[in-house]
Amino acid sequence: MHRSGRPTGDSTRGRRFEVLTGLVPLVVLVIVWEIIGSPDSPFYPAPSSWWPALFTRGQGEDIIPAIIDTTRTFSLGLVIATIVGVTIGIAVGVSARTDRAFGPMFEFARALPPAAMVPVATLLLGFDEPMKIVVVVLAAVWPIMLNTRTGIRSIDPVRLDMARSLRLSRRRTIGSVLLPAVMPAVLLGVRVATPVALVITLLVEYLTGVNGVGALVGDAQRTFQPARVYALIVIAGLISLVVNSLVRSAEERVRRRHGVERE
Amino acid sequence: MSFECRSVRADVGAVGANRTVLDDVSLDVASGEFVSIMGRSGVGKTTLLRVLAGLQEPSAGSTVRFEGRPVDGPPDGVSLVFQDYTSALLPWRTVAANVELPLEGHLSKPERSERVAATLEMVGLADRANDRPPQLSGGMQQRVQLARALASRPAALLMDEPFGALDALTKSDLEDELLALVAETSTTVVFVTHDIDEAVYLSDRVVVLGGEPAGIAADVVVDCPRPRTQIRTRESAEFLAARSRVHEVIFGTR
Amino acid sequence: MLVAAAVLWELLVRAEVAELQFLPAPSEILLAARSAVTEGELLGRVIHTVGVTLLGWSVASAVGFGLGLILGLSNTAYRFSMTSFEVTRAIPPITFVPAALLIFGFSLRMELVLVIFGGVWPVLVNTIGGVHAIPSELRDVGAMLRLGRLATVRKIVLPAALPSVVVGLRLALSLCLVLAIVAEIVGNPAGIGDGLIRARQALQPALMFVYVIVAGLLGVVLNAIFRTVVRALVPGGDTPDGRSW
Repeated sequence: MHRSGRPTGDSTRGRRFEVLTGLVPLVVLVIVWEIIGSPDSPFYPAPSSWWPALFTRGQGEDIIPAIIDTTRTFSLGLVIATIVGVTIGIAVGVSARTDRAFGPMFEFARALPPAAMVPVATLLLGFDEPMKIVVVVLAAVWPIMLNTRTGIRSIDPVRLDMARSLRLSRRRTIGSVLLPAVMPAVLLGVRVATPVALVITLLVEYLTGVNGVGALVGDAQRTFQPARVYALIVIAGLISLVVNSLVRSAEERVRRRHGVERE
Repeated sequence: MSFECRSVRADVGAVGANRTVLDDVSLDVASGEFVSIMGRSGVGKTTLLRVLAGLQEPSAGSTVRFEGRPVDGPPDGVSLVFQDYTSALLPWRTVAANVELPLEGHLSKPERSERVAATLEMVGLADRANDRPPQLSGGMQQRVQLARALASRPAALLMDEPFGALDALTKSDLEDELLALVAETSTTVVFVTHDIDEAVYLSDRVVVLGGEPAGIAADVVVDCPRPRTQIRTRESAEFLAARSRVHEVIFGTR
Repeated sequence: MLVAAAVLWELLVRAEVAELQFLPAPSEILLAARSAVTEGELLGRVIHTVGVTLLGWSVASAVGFGLGLILGLSNTAYRFSMTSFEVTRAIPPITFVPAALLIFGFSLRMELVLVIFGGVWPVLVNTIGGVHAIPSELRDVGAMLRLGRLATVRKIVLPAALPSVVVGLRLALSLCLVLAIVAEIVGNPAGIGDGLIRARQALQPALMFVYVIVAGLLGVVLNAIFRTVVRALVPGGDTPDGRSW
């Protein structure tokens, strides 16, 4: 162990190079797959057959609407979860009494795995958009609420004294001091909640067969179109990469503005 | 009279697990006076300052008045400067926006910008108005806090070890700037510090807390003429006399 | 508060204020739980799910830890593969279900593959993170003591990275449980997830709630056991809260 730790490129060019070299195994895998896989293999169809498979049998017009559907359910769910999570997080963060009163209920609700709630929700709420959003919110709200609560509690007491001694009004204290101070914690919660929300969105779509990329994958699987399944997996992966990096860069920006580096 | 305290008693700690730190503290601070509060760490200097600032309620039977009105909550016309500038300043706001914070909702936008610019000019930070606090040195950040405290034109300034975290050279600069500022604005100052030289150099009176729970162990008048200068004042007989007196009260005659 | 909420729920359902047609009252859930326990169905399903979870978790941990160690220690390995892992990790595991179903059918193998695939990532990421976070002073200590490469890894790198690895293992455990249940819901006809789906087909919402609650309890219990074991083996080796779904 005579080398230094993580290979951090000094220049952005170095880091970009690293990102590219890091892709080597994946590229090799795809090439090997392409060579040994045949387009009609029931299990491992060659990658070159994936893209065309999206458009065979008169399909293809359904891809873009599916992506839009998935993105809408996911982002609506995440936004609602953020609003609800931050509100509850602040309420239980500032008042120990509220926390004691609702704490056990939250612990109980949080322990229920959202994935297992999906079949229940389809029975109770039916197969429609609001049901999907409810399930996504139920899954995504906890990390946001818990991080907000922790964030509120870890605000330096000096900062609160400062607000009081400047005689800031309650509204101004929340708007100018509490909310901005808790933003990094909220975004950390959102970052954790993002993949959860996406997975639950896809799971609901897959189980109910109602719209979205998840429904398309399920359909492709049930009608034995493996190439189409793989193509849709790639699409889901791309959606995930995009939303994750969006959230991450938002978090980065807020952190930098707050002058904090710590995780 | 700026502050009047009569038999102030104060506890710290959670209800049930509290400890009385101050007992029977009576103290008057005249308008325009500069009073330092000294004592060993943990003696209750900060508690006394928090009581004056209206951040902590003293026990029943205590009387605390500012300009004749009882203190219940942070009084109008009093500003507090904290030692920990990283927490007291908001890193997501620019220097100017930090100074503007107490004025929001009280003054119109143009009045605020004018006041902020003038106050930053006073502390010599006019050119850093659009930076964020973390980009500034410790001394500069403490100047920003001072500017924010002065922006509302307070009659009294409470300062809790404001220069305690700064290096000696910066500290001595800021001491002189503070003296110039309060002389110009004739602001009353109550200043908590654990640096005897600093207390004597800045103050008209040095109040030493002692005992457990603490009361006033000594009230030392510093007879040095103003304006004071780092070299001449610190060499004067009056300075040395006051300094020895405070030292004696805190450490005994060793 | 919890009791009050349950009572309120019961009253709302009884008074038929709650409009959800299939929302069972807490009392019905209790009854359903009792019959599921006495008929022995619940126990069998729990054993299956826990078994798959633990098996999958062990494999995932071994793979994740081994890979993580290699990527953490070797800059070359890191540079020439990390992006590939990042990209693969970003793919939501649920979308692999259809592919796994096509390849393995509705089987235990499919369930295991999904559990292992999902469980590898937290262990991998936390192992790499743990190794990279070792302060350089500690590495210098190893060099000064003239420890060999292997001895450095064994005596300095591993102990220093351990807390982070432990966090990864714990996150992976909850994730494996959830993935096992998901696999059972969508594919492998066994375990708690399958019970959930069967109860849904039989329109027994009370029984569904029983399974959801049991799934939640399993998560809590596994987590508690893990913490207890870790606390016994490595003092101070765990930190609270990560993610799980």
